[in-house]
Amino acid sequence: MAATDLDTEFVGRRKALFGLALRTTLLTIVTLGIYRFWMKTRLRRWYWSAVRPGGLPLEYAGDPLEKLLGFLIAVVVMAFYIGIVNLLLMFVSFSLLNSAAAAYIISFLGVLPIVFFARYRARRYIVARTRWRGIRFGVEKGAWGYAWRCIAHWCVTILSLGLLLPRQTFYLEKYRADRTRYGSAAFEQGGTWRGMYGAMTHQLIGVLSTAVFALVGFTGAAPEALYGLGVSLPWVLYGWVSYKVETFRYLSNHKALGVIGFDANPRTGRVLWIYLRGWFVIALVVAVLGGAVMIFALLAIDPSALSEEVTASGPSWLYFLIAAPLYFALFTFYGVLTQIMLTLPLTAHYAQTLTILNGDKIGEVAQRDRDEFAEAEGFADALDVGAAF
Amino acid sequence: MGMRIHIGATPPVFHGEATYVDSEIATPRNVSLSIDESRQPESLLITEDGAERAAWPLTEIRRLRDQAGPEGIVLKQLGLENLARLYISDPETTRLLLARCAAPLRKERPIKRGKILLWSLAAMASVALILFVLIPSLADQMAERLPPQGERALGETTFEQIRSALSEDPVLPLAVCETAAGVAALNAMAERITLGVELDHPLQFHVLDDPMVNAFALPGGIIVFFRGMLEATDSPDELASVMAHEIGHVVSHDPTRHALRSAGSIGILGLLLGDFAGGAVVLLLTEKLIAANYSQTAELEADAFGLRRLEAAQIDPEAMALMFTRLQQSEGGDPEGKGEDEADTVGYLRYFLSHPLTQDRISIVRQEALPAGETTPSLTQDQWQALKSICD
Repeated sequence: MAATDLDTEFVGRRKALFGLALRTTLLTIVTLGIYRFWMKTRLRRWYWSAVRPGGLPLEYAGDPLEKLLGFLIAVVVMAFYIGIVNLLLMFVSFSLLNSAAAAYIISFLGVLPIVFFARYRARRYIVARTRWRGIRFGVEKGAWGYAWRCIAHWCVTILSLGLLLPRQTFYLEKYRADRTRYGSAAFEQGGTWRGMYGAMTHQLIGVLSTAVFALVGFTGAAPEALYGLGVSLPWVLYGWVSYKVETFRYLSNHKALGVIGFDANPRTGRVLWIYLRGWFVIALVVAVLGGAVMIFALLAIDPSALSEEVTASGPSWLYFLIAAPLYFALFTFYGVLTQIMLTLPLTAHYAQTLTILNGDKIGEVAQRDRDEFAEAEGFADALDVGAAF
Repeated sequence: MGMRIHIGATPPVFHGEATYVDSEIATPRNVSLSIDESRQPESLLITEDGAERAAWPLTEIRRLRDQAGPEGIVLKQLGLENLARLYISDPETTRLLLARCAAPLRKERPIKRGKILLWSLAAMASVALILFVLIPSLADQMAERLPPQGERALGETTFEQIRSALSEDPVLPLAVCETAAGVAALNAMAERITLGVELDHPLQFHVLDDPMVNAFALPGGIIVFFRGMLEATDSPDELASVMAHEIGHVVSHDPTRHALRSAGSIGILGLLLGDFAGGAVVLLLTEKLIAANYSQTAELEADAFGLRRLEAAQIDPEAMALMFTRLQQSEGGDPEGKGEDEADTVGYLRYFLSHPLTQDRISIVRQEALPAGETTPSLTQDQWQALKSICD
């Protein structure tokens, strides 16, 4: 490692995040969801400031009111689209085809381009409000170009039964990266999708072996083959994680910011462990709380629901009184646990394994202007397709 | 900020080290910090190698909020255009400096409140317009224009969905009662009621094998009775009044209108409430509220239609009032027919009911019914027996 390389620190602690996530989630519930714009902004500020390349933290400069305004703008547009268009589609579908299926399909297809458009705009907003060493990041326009490219790539990937997925991953990332800026410098995605194909290895092994075992097992030729699924299905999961990690590694290593380079070293094993541990804990808590909610709600409605002989005593409103806070606790803990068991450790791992090469050249980057766009990430918020943060 | 009072010896002169970025290029600088009390206003001096880089008035220093990491703070100068930052990692320096700052955590307001307010009002107005004006009128128009086959298909799909939803068996849908004689009786009753009325589709009757005391109409002329309704009625005329009411819904395309409206409304409500906890519950309640308001009018109109059909077919209209009284008793759990409690308990819940209060409907029917001339029962005794035993 050269002296000019910059390591990335991650200083976020689980306990601090737990407190912040809990407080903001409760406020969101109490305000019937309105506080979520503040919640997301505060959590982003926390995560960004936890990542410290070369010892200096990233900064998230987004404003909650800006986010709320963007959402309101999107609502006005989408209310018209979803309300009127859905109604018309339902009408046409039944008039011409005597079924609702066409309406649902067309409705879904109609919303897809907007979903991709929204994702690009959301990323553009978040990146444009990110700063490091006082210099702004930025993203050039191109949301509609992104939307149609997404659709085209998905068609190709589906037609190839998934074999051409790395091609899609590469080109879409290239589209986004080539339009990303840090101050006066531009990012550039190098490499080729063929070079990245190795990331598919485990996924292919897992899926193909599952297909073989399932085919042989279910058609009765050799039912013992179904035991093979016990190995191949976990392999599919491993393959999925491996794909995410390896593509991140390849794409990061081949990115350049002028003469500045990157060296990413995430480990599939670690990421897989984080996912498994996180899902297990979340599933456990959800099952316990969810079960409790259902039992109390059931008892409130029908006191002898659980057993023919035993009738729950006490008025039904008492059971509702117990069930209601449990219901909200369920959602609160789901949100908070997702943060501390998944988002936090994953961000920490990816951050800590990232090194910036030729870090001394960063000092030459100059400032860029503020990107004022009115609707922030409103469409992504309205359609609920925002980023993980 | 008012006067500061220091207690004790003069504090040592403030001095500290930090990292500074000037927001013009991305080079971090190692700087020295000191406070110049002689300047107006009192300012923090940021110097690198003796040269002054910046001077921030103490009252304008702000600290970045929601930062991770117990060690280190980030300071900025008030003003959204100020992107320069000061990174201080030494806790003692932090403590001493923050003590001298007037309001390090006071917020800045980036966006004019007026703009947010305006857009909020615009959003609420547009959504209200779409939900309460545009969608209902579009749905009404579309309901009239839906071709009969399409409408019938919609009705049949919905019927299958309802049968699955109500069935207790996870696989089989709710059973339908259909003895030939019973079905014939229903059709005979319908013929009498609809004499002279133009219908878009021939009416199709189904009887669901379930004890609920209810009946409903589906798009395309499909009318569904529950076995419980058949068992609860004492005379064929009472059933005829229910059938006439449901035929009223068919003729005004009410079920189709409701289905189209819901298709539009639910999407929008989902949009607004997002994914926050319990959103689904609020969504359903709100949808019910909107649907309820709309359908109370439709119900009263169906009552009026039913009444006129009964009179035209020379069936005793008092049967309708009797039917409602029976409904009221089964709703209020009030077998003696006292009926007063209903008004008390319902209260604000009336806004959620999809039917107007039964008491109101009874009064309206009694008021509107013309004095009955010659009346004949809607079914013969044989037909009535056949209908009553349709589920055997």
